[in-house]
Amino acid sequence: MSKPKIAFFDFTSCEGCQLNKLNLENDLLDLLELVDIVEFREAMDDKADEYDIAFIEGSISTPTCITRIHDIRRRTKILVALGACAVQGGINAIKNQHSADWVKETVYGEDKYLFPSIPVQPISAVVKVDYEVRGCPMSTPEFLHVLKSLILNRKPEIFDHAVCVECKLKENECVLDKGMFCLGPITRAGCDAICPTFGQYCTGCRGVVSNINKNGAVEMLKQHGFSTKEALNRMKMFCTLELE
Amino acid sequence: MSSTDVKSRLESFNCYYFDKDVTQKFISFLMKKGDVIAPHKTGELSYKYEIVSDATEVVLNYSRTILPLKKAFMPPRETLINFNIKNNQYTKPQISTEPKIFFGIHSYEMQSIKRLDYSFITGLPESNYLTRRENCKFIGVAYKPDEWHFAGSVGIDINETDGFCLYFYPAKNGYIVFEITDEGKNLLDEFGEGSEVTDEYLKLNEDKFQAKIKFHHNRIPEIFTHVYNSKVWEDVAQKCVGCGTCNLLCSTCYCYDVHDEIELDVENGQRDRFWDGCMLNKFAEVAGGENFRDNLGSRNRHRLYRKFKYITNQSDKLHCVGCGRCSRYCPANISLVEIVNDLIDDYTKQQQKEIL
Repeated sequence: MSKPKIAFFDFTSCEGCQLNKLNLENDLLDLLELVDIVEFREAMDDKADEYDIAFIEGSISTPTCITRIHDIRRRTKILVALGACAVQGGINAIKNQHSADWVKETVYGEDKYLFPSIPVQPISAVVKVDYEVRGCPMSTPEFLHVLKSLILNRKPEIFDHAVCVECKLKENECVLDKGMFCLGPITRAGCDAICPTFGQYCTGCRGVVSNINKNGAVEMLKQHGFSTKEALNRMKMFCTLELE
Repeated sequence: MSSTDVKSRLESFNCYYFDKDVTQKFISFLMKKGDVIAPHKTGELSYKYEIVSDATEVVLNYSRTILPLKKAFMPPRETLINFNIKNNQYTKPQISTEPKIFFGIHSYEMQSIKRLDYSFITGLPESNYLTRRENCKFIGVAYKPDEWHFAGSVGIDINETDGFCLYFYPAKNGYIVFEITDEGKNLLDEFGEGSEVTDEYLKLNEDKFQAKIKFHHNRIPEIFTHVYNSKVWEDVAQKCVGCGTCNLLCSTCYCYDVHDEIELDVENGQRDRFWDGCMLNKFAEVAGGENFRDNLGSRNRHRLYRKFKYITNQSDKLHCVGCGRCSRYCPANISLVEIVNDLIDDYTKQQQKEIL
């Protein structure tokens, strides 16, 4: 059996997810035993016509993005969205909360007509996404789990429960109890509760769980001393589109 | 377990007085006999059970630990097998049966272990849990109920000594130590310290629970036969965000999920299990994506029925021990006692409509 051909593509994003893969230094050589990386702009110049698995980073935010993602979808057997921008629109989608004209004006000033821009959408709004790896940046253990599962022809197991679960398994003291903000109760797990474990709070980068009780979440945060406005603003940081 | 006052419960046992120094010496003495697991302070205002490395760090006047004692017998994550898919072989990790002494345990926590014993022995015995349960001694300590403890409402007195070999009761500058079993007596005989208890020290007070279920615990399972379609479940679902904290921290919940992870050589791997909970999205999901409990109302209902009805019907015991963790740590401030009391109100209203 020949090695599967995999490719990485970036759309509107900081490319941090791609960088995160290059940070897998201890595993990179083993990884190359398993797959042929045929396209990876952050790391190499080569191009290919077809892929077994295409990993997509970043969100859709320009008309060109739409053309490109259709093209990639036609050439790949499996498509995996990587990171908050690709999966749920992420930080980029904050711009959707403002008028398109104001956003263009603010960013490009009088050159705004040179840059066609559309409301931000996740990859799944345009083409079929087979699997998702969430997080900002994407979680590398989860990325490896998806990759290994696909190589073995198995369905990856992706969690749809809250960060609270992983935080409790680690017996962390609740950060809400310490007067801090936290979105752990409604954010998807898979990060091993890394932020609360190291004294930070959960910013919700992995998006909300699938059956989100939005009103309940706001009421919950109000009981801990946060205003409705602050609760909603913080919830929308990574999840504007998921909370619509 | 009927409600008895503290005097009649404890006065039949032989007892000694330990001041604070002797108590610490006793912990050090226990440490020579095996791992001593006791409550320690963690973070700003929380406690957790840890193996004692320094007797002075043990905290005996604590409210409750974050994780229940089940973590010692069913770890949050454990590897069930290591496997190799190329040659189709597997090995099981060894589980230690070295002696363990659990020190400073509250009565509801001891009773939760008895409930777990029932759950893991009934049907197919669960060998990892039962192996870890071998060679264990439990030494209890009295506690002052806070606003979340409600063990009294589920029939477990503060000073219930069932399961303990020794029981520590706070006294002036130390503890009165009651010999509950011969095992406990042997430990005290070997330790050889501790003084006679004089009237100055033997002051047993009855502490009261602040949180209470309205009906006697014997009535609770019957209430649950009438409230399956109660509106209370919808009200709970409005507040609940489904984070699963109540499941994860419950001292009698035992559900787990199993997950295989393969290494990058795509050959070796391990099968891990970790705690799961019926409040979580995928718990009741089956092949094809159908979910039998796809909303928070039905999940909360299921959770409480597991505590007060389903296992109770089989075991004759409530499988809630009143530790209060689900309510104390719920980020949305949902109180289990309030849910049960609302159900009781709902039931009472139903009954008032019934005319002979």
